[in-house]
Amino acid sequence: MLISGFLSHAAWSQSDPTGKRRITDTYAITNATIFASPGQPGTKATLLFREGVIIGMGPNLSLPKEAQLIAGDSLFIYPGFIDGASSAGITKPKDPERPKDFVSSNPPDEIAGITPWRSATDQFSITGNQVDDWRKAGFTISQVLPDGGMIPGKAAIMILGNSGSVNVIQENTALAANFSGARGMYPATAAGVIAKFRDVYQNTTLALDHSRLFASTAGVKRPEMTPTHTAMAAVVQGQIPVIFKAETELEARRAIALQKEFGFKLVLAGLDNYENVIDLIKSSGTAVLIKLQVPDDKAIKNQKSDSVTTATKAQYARVKEAYDKALKQASLLEKAGVPFGFSTLDAKPGDAMKALRTMIKNGLTEKTALAALTTNPATILGIGKTAGTIEKGKMANFVISTDSIFKEEAQIKHVVVDGYIFDYEVKKKSANGNGKTENGPAAITGQWDYTSQTPAGSSGGELIIAKNGVEYTGTITYTDPSGNGKVTAPIKNVSVSGKTLTFQFDVSAGGMSLTVDITGEITGNAMDGTMSVGQFGSFPLTAKLNSPSLSL
Amino acid sequence: MKKLNLILAALLGLGLNYSNAQTQKGNVLIKNATVLTVTKGNLENTDVLVQNGIIRQVGKNLSAPAGVETIDASGKYLMPGIIDAHSHVALDVVNEASSPITSEVRMKDVVNPFEIGIYRALAGGVTISHAMHGSANVVGGQNATLKHRWGAKDPSDIIMQDAPRTIKFALGENPTRVHGRGNGIQPRTRMGVEAVLRNGFNEAIQYKKGWETYNTAKGQKGNTKTPPVYNERLQTLADILDGKIIIHCHSYRADEIYMLINVAKDFGITKLVFQHTNEGFKVAPEIAQYTMGASVFADWWAYKMEVYYSTAFNAAILQRNGAITSINSDSAELIRHLYHEAAKTQRYGGLTDEEALAMITINPAKQLGIDDKVGSIEVGKQADLVIFEGHPLSSYTVPQMTFVDGVKYFDIKADPDDQRQFVSATEMVEPIFLHTHENHQCLQDVDAYFEAFQGAFIEEKH
Repeated sequence: MLISGFLSHAAWSQSDPTGKRRITDTYAITNATIFASPGQPGTKATLLFREGVIIGMGPNLSLPKEAQLIAGDSLFIYPGFIDGASSAGITKPKDPERPKDFVSSNPPDEIAGITPWRSATDQFSITGNQVDDWRKAGFTISQVLPDGGMIPGKAAIMILGNSGSVNVIQENTALAANFSGARGMYPATAAGVIAKFRDVYQNTTLALDHSRLFASTAGVKRPEMTPTHTAMAAVVQGQIPVIFKAETELEARRAIALQKEFGFKLVLAGLDNYENVIDLIKSSGTAVLIKLQVPDDKAIKNQKSDSVTTATKAQYARVKEAYDKALKQASLLEKAGVPFGFSTLDAKPGDAMKALRTMIKNGLTEKTALAALTTNPATILGIGKTAGTIEKGKMANFVISTDSIFKEEAQIKHVVVDGYIFDYEVKKKSANGNGKTENGPAAITGQWDYTSQTPAGSSGGELIIAKNGVEYTGTITYTDPSGNGKVTAPIKNVSVSGKTLTFQFDVSAGGMSLTVDITGEITGNAMDGTMSVGQFGSFPLTAKLNSPSLSL
Repeated sequence: MKKLNLILAALLGLGLNYSNAQTQKGNVLIKNATVLTVTKGNLENTDVLVQNGIIRQVGKNLSAPAGVETIDASGKYLMPGIIDAHSHVALDVVNEASSPITSEVRMKDVVNPFEIGIYRALAGGVTISHAMHGSANVVGGQNATLKHRWGAKDPSDIIMQDAPRTIKFALGENPTRVHGRGNGIQPRTRMGVEAVLRNGFNEAIQYKKGWETYNTAKGQKGNTKTPPVYNERLQTLADILDGKIIIHCHSYRADEIYMLINVAKDFGITKLVFQHTNEGFKVAPEIAQYTMGASVFADWWAYKMEVYYSTAFNAAILQRNGAITSINSDSAELIRHLYHEAAKTQRYGGLTDEEALAMITINPAKQLGIDDKVGSIEVGKQADLVIFEGHPLSSYTVPQMTFVDGVKYFDIKADPDDQRQFVSATEMVEPIFLHTHENHQCLQDVDAYFEAFQGAFIEEKH
C-alpha cells in the first residue's frame, strides 16, 4: 500500500559527528510544474535553490555540480504556505507565583495576563506540538502568538525549518491580544478586559508623554515606565499592529471599536463567524486572518429524514442554512475584495486541505485560496519581499504535491522550508471508480486489537466492529486518561471506502469531551493508520483483525 | 403595485440605513384605538400618526399621508412601549465581580443584539430595557439603555444612544458576600460598603483635581507638571459627582437606603435611583425627597436574609409618598409580562390605572433620564408603542403589536416559531441556559455551595 520506504533526498555527510549535516545545501527540482504565484498557470521548469534562497527557475537552467537533483516530472510546486496566526510549537509558560500580598481585585499585570513584554520566541520550539503537522499540511512560515492572558505578548514570524537552525525570521511583529479574562481576579470577563485594555493603552500614551517631557525639560519628576508601558509603546507609536483573536462577529466588532477609539493598527485572527461584518472589515481597513477550518457537519449529518415533526424539520432547515452560509463566508470575503489570510489557531492540521476544498466548492476561487495561503499573509505580515511566491531571490519555501494542489487526489509529497526538504508519505490511491474495483470495500467487521503511540507512551485496546444493515457500529476500549483502567466507548461515523477505514469516538477527559478521529489503511488483516485527537495532534496507530466476523 | 411600493420602501429604508448609519425609523397610522397616553389621560377612538419614528399627531379622524401604512386598532388599547428599568437581557457579560469598584466597566461593550430575550420582551410589549451590570460590587459597571430593535446586527444599533449614562451600585449582602466573605477584603459589612463609597468618591475628587492642575499647567511655558495616571474608574466616579451619570443602586434594607441618601447628600449627588428597594416603604418620604425614586419588584422577596421584611404594598406606599416608582423585572421571564406585574399594585394598594401604567412607562423613563423622549404617548416623542387586546392591566390582556421608533418588531399575527437571529451551524439543539446571569465570582468558598443549590432551584434576583 505504501511506497516502500521514503524517497530520501537528504544524504548525510560522514565527517559530521552528529551524522546530521547535509552534504549539500544546493538542490534542483527538475522539470516540475511550477505555480509561481496565485493566478499564474503552471509552467514546466526546473527550480534551483541554495542555502534556502531561490537562485534560478526556468526550462534550461545550467545546474551546478553540487546540486542534488530531484526529479520533478510528475510533481506540482507551489509557494510555501504562510500561517498568519498560529500556536504551533508554543508552550504556555508557567504562571508566576502569586505574591504574599496578592489581592484579586488589583493583581500585578504579570499575574492578570497582561504581559506585553513576553515574546513568542521564548515559548516556541521547532520540535514542539503540531509544528510537523502544520508543515506536513504545507505551512512553511508561521506568525506564532504567545500563550497567556488578555495581552500575552509579542508575536514572532518563524520559519518551520530544520530543527538545528535558528528559525526566527522576525521578532516582535505584533502585539497579541484577546478577550479572555483572568481566572478569579481582575479583569475576569470580556467587559473587564476591554476596560483594562483602555487603561493600559491610555496610560502607555501618558507615560510616553511624560518621558518626552522629562527628556526635554529640567525639573520634571522621573518617569516610571512599567514593563507593560515599555512593551506597549510600539503599538501606541504605530510601529506594530495589535493582533486580536476574534472568532465571532461580536468579538470582531469589539476589537474594531477599540481600534476606532485609539487608532492602533489592527489585525483580526481566527475569525470563524464573520459574514455580517465583512462590510465593516472592509470599511475599517482591518486585516483579517480567518480560521482555516469549516464547521463540522455532524449536526447536518445527524438530521433524520423521517419520524420528525414539522417544527423539528424547520429547525433542521435553519441549521442547514447556517451551515451552508458558514461555508460560503470565505467566498463572500473574496467578493468584497478583502485580501484575507488564514490563521490555524484552534484548527486541525489534518483537515486543512479538506477545509480549503470545501471553501472552494462553496465559491472561493482557487486563485484567492492560494493567495490566502501565500501572498496575502506575506503582505499582512510584511514579508512580501522574501516570501509568498516562487521567484528568484525569495526564500526556498515550497509545497510539492502529486497533483494540482486543491484536487481531492492531490497529496503533499515534499515540503521545502528554508531550503530543507521534508518528505512525506504518499499513499497510492485504490483504483475505485476506474471500473477496476478491488473486490469492494475491505472487510472490517470483527474483533481488532490496536496499539497507538502518543507522547504519553504506547497504549492500546480492543476494537469491535459489526455491521448493522448498511451501517457499521461498534465499540472501542481505551486507557482512561484519569487513570482508572480501561473504558469502553461506542464508535461512530464508521465508514470504509476502498481500503480506508475511518471512524470516531468520544473521550471525556478532565470534564471536556474530545472527539478522536481514526483513519487507517487496511491490508489484509492489518490496519496502519493515525489517530488524531482534537487539536492535540496526530499519532500513529496500528491494528490487527484477530477474529473476522464470519457473517461477511 | 402594493408589492412594488413595499420593495421600494424597503430599498429606500435600507439605503437610508447605510448612508446615515442610522437605525430604522417607521411611519404608521394607528386608527381608532383607546389611547392610554399615561400622561394626558385616556382617549377613546383616537388615531396616532407616526412619521419618521416620531409621534406627529394624536387625534380623531386622522388620515394617512401617502405611503403610510394604516393599522385598524378598533376595540384595542394603545399604550406607550413598556420600559424595564432593571434587566440583564442582551448582555454577554453581567458581572465583572472581581473588584469592589468597577466603574470603568461598560455594559455597552458587551451588548449582544442576537439574544432571543429581546424578542420575548417585545412580545410582552417592552420596547426599552435597562441592561445593567450585576450586583456583586459596591460600584459596578456602567449600564446600557437598550431599544429593542430586534434584527439589528450591530450592538450599537440597539443601544439608545440619546439616553444619559447610568451606573450600577450595590449595597448589602451581595458585595459583602463576594468581596468580604469571598475574598477577605473590604467590604465585609454594611459599614464597609459605606466606606468603599466614601473613599471612592474622595479619591475621585483628588483625581479630578490632579487632572485640572495638570491641564492648566501643561500649556504653559516651561511646564514641569506631568500627567497623572489615567484612571477611568475614578474618572467615572468624578463624572457621577459632576451629575453626568445616574446611579441605580441595588438595595434592600431601609438602613442602607438611608445610608446612601446621606452619602449622596454629603457629596452633592442628586441623580440617584434605588433598585429593588424592598424596605423602601420604611423610608418612602426620604426617597421621595432626596432621590429619583425606586424601581421595585411587584411581589418578590424572601430569597435571602436581607429580603424577608417585604410587602407587596411597597410600590403603592412609595408612590403615594410621592416617590417616583417603577416596577421592573430583573429577569428574562418577568420582562414578558410587566403589565401584569404593574397590575399587582392595584390588587395591593389600590393604585389608579394611570398610576399603575406609569410604573412601567413614564416613571422608569424618568429614572433613566429619557422621559423627554419616551414613556408616554405625546406628540414629539419617539413612537415606541404597544397595541393590546384587552386593557393592559387586565389579567386577560394579550399584546398584539409592538413598535419601536414606529417600526413594528412584534406582531402576534406574524410570529413564526423560530425567531432566532443567530443559529449555530454545528449544534443540532442549541443549549438552553436556565440561568443566564449570576453574580457568583468563584466557586472556592462555602457560599458557592449555597448559591449553587439556590441557583439550581430558584431564579435568584439581584
